[in-house]
Amino acid sequence: MIMMFGGLGAATQDRSPEWVAGMHELMMKLDTELKESGECVASEALANPSQAKTVRFEGGAPVPTDGPFAEVKESLAGYWILEVDQDRALQIASQVVAYTEYPMEVRPIMDHSAQP
Amino acid sequence: MTRPRPVEDLLREFAPQVLGALVRRHGQFDACEDAVQEALLAAALRWPTEGVPDRPRAWLLTVAGRALVDAWRADSARRRREAITALDPADQPGAADDSTYGDRLDPGDADRDDTLGLLFLCCHPALSPPSQLALTLRAVGGLTTAEIAAGFLVPEATIAKRISRAKQRIRDAGARFELPAQPLPRGRLAVVMQVLYLMFNEGYTTSSGPALQRPDLTAEAIRLTRLLHRLLPDEAEVAGLLALMLLTDARRAARADATGRIVPLAEQQRELWDAAAIAEGQAILASTLGTGPIGQYQVQAAIAALHDEAPDARATDWPQILALYGVLTTVAPGPIVTLSRAVAVAHVHGPRAALDLLATLDSDERMTHTHRLEAVRAHLLEQTGDIVAARESYLQAAKMTANLPEQRYLELRAARLRQPARPPR
Repeated sequence: MIMMFGGLGAATQDRSPEWVAGMHELMMKLDTELKESGECVASEALANPSQAKTVRFEGGAPVPTDGPFAEVKESLAGYWILEVDQDRALQIASQVVAYTEYPMEVRPIMDHSAQP
Repeated sequence: MTRPRPVEDLLREFAPQVLGALVRRHGQFDACEDAVQEALLAAALRWPTEGVPDRPRAWLLTVAGRALVDAWRADSARRRREAITALDPADQPGAADDSTYGDRLDPGDADRDDTLGLLFLCCHPALSPPSQLALTLRAVGGLTTAEIAAGFLVPEATIAKRISRAKQRIRDAGARFELPAQPLPRGRLAVVMQVLYLMFNEGYTTSSGPALQRPDLTAEAIRLTRLLHRLLPDEAEVAGLLALMLLTDARRAARADATGRIVPLAEQQRELWDAAAIAEGQAILASTLGTGPIGQYQVQAAIAALHDEAPDARATDWPQILALYGVLTTVAPGPIVTLSRAVAVAHVHGPRAALDLLATLDSDERMTHTHRLEAVRAHLLEQTGDIVAARESYLQAAKMTANLPEQRYLELRAARLRQPARPPR
């Protein structure tokens, strides 16, 4: 799983229109390529963290409040779930980071199958 | 949902007629609906290789009738007794060319009333809008659960559950399939039109997901509205709704560029608009206006027609559009109407007058969860030359939308204002 974080949005706000358009193109192109090659199992972009609600246990009951649980810059902004080895996942993440200069996290997904 | 082949077109035309006839005869909407799905599946498997039977509707009714009996047999003893009473052996569908049902089902009033009755049942007020949509697509539209799931980009199991819950709710509410009363109950017809309009909008501007539009849903909404218009040719608002859909959908090809980026109305290549759809929408509207009470769909269609008629953006008859929004504000007031009216005000009286109108929406709770107010404000602020405030509004709107192409469009508009193109006035 490759994860993008909310801080990227803030980091792009001061970039030029050409840079922003270039980033959109890179993301769309990469997403299409990964889907066409069959490497991508799932990918989603999440709505802005300002649209999030957090359910907390307060006064003995779950209470929903406005806003994300984590700091906006640490909040999940989108992800790719890929069926690839770690080297390939790191290579894909590097392609994006080379352009955005903003970090991404790569982490294995747990295996559900029962081990013999 | 892929483009239906001729057999599928035929099946989808018959689906509501067969289901309507079956429910009218036996009641039990949910059991009949399952039986019709089985019959449609059997036909989809056999007709393409064996050929379409001479009496396709009678064939479907016979197969669905058998499936219904099978389901009843498998059910409880009480149900079995009911089945035996309901289906007298002399009345049992026999061979596939059995004419028992077919003879009773002469094309005409029976089909008309059955399909209307089904639409009214699927759009029952006890159901939530997503359930009304899913049930209408399946029972009246004849789509499979998988096709509906693809249209809404949700797992098939979700739609299957939504449909079975909807059927359960119809049963719990004690709603019965009945031939529509005369005169038609206005409130129920309004809900049917609302469901079709929602289906169209869900396809035209998807509320979430990677694509800007899902043409299959809009095509299905237009097909079903055409059907409703054919059943109720004298209902001016139904005609207005059909005209509105045609006049809006006509611009589909020009709404996004090759990379999927949104192109606003003023910048669209008008030669990409569908001239045939525009002509049809205009003709429907022309023969409808003045024949019945004016309503929101006719007025919105008239506004869409004015946009479609303009050879280029500058030739748009904005004073006339503003006058029509005035009418719309009296027949169907609401914050989204005010928002659209503000755009017309900007063209006629300038952006500052429009911003004043928008300010009246700031305290409207219905607008707190949509990005549209901020997006319109951003465009207006940009027109006044207040680049800093416009940029803030674009960024705020980009944060609020859940549609990816819209978000990218708004981010790009904000980025363009990073360095003022012209000094603020």
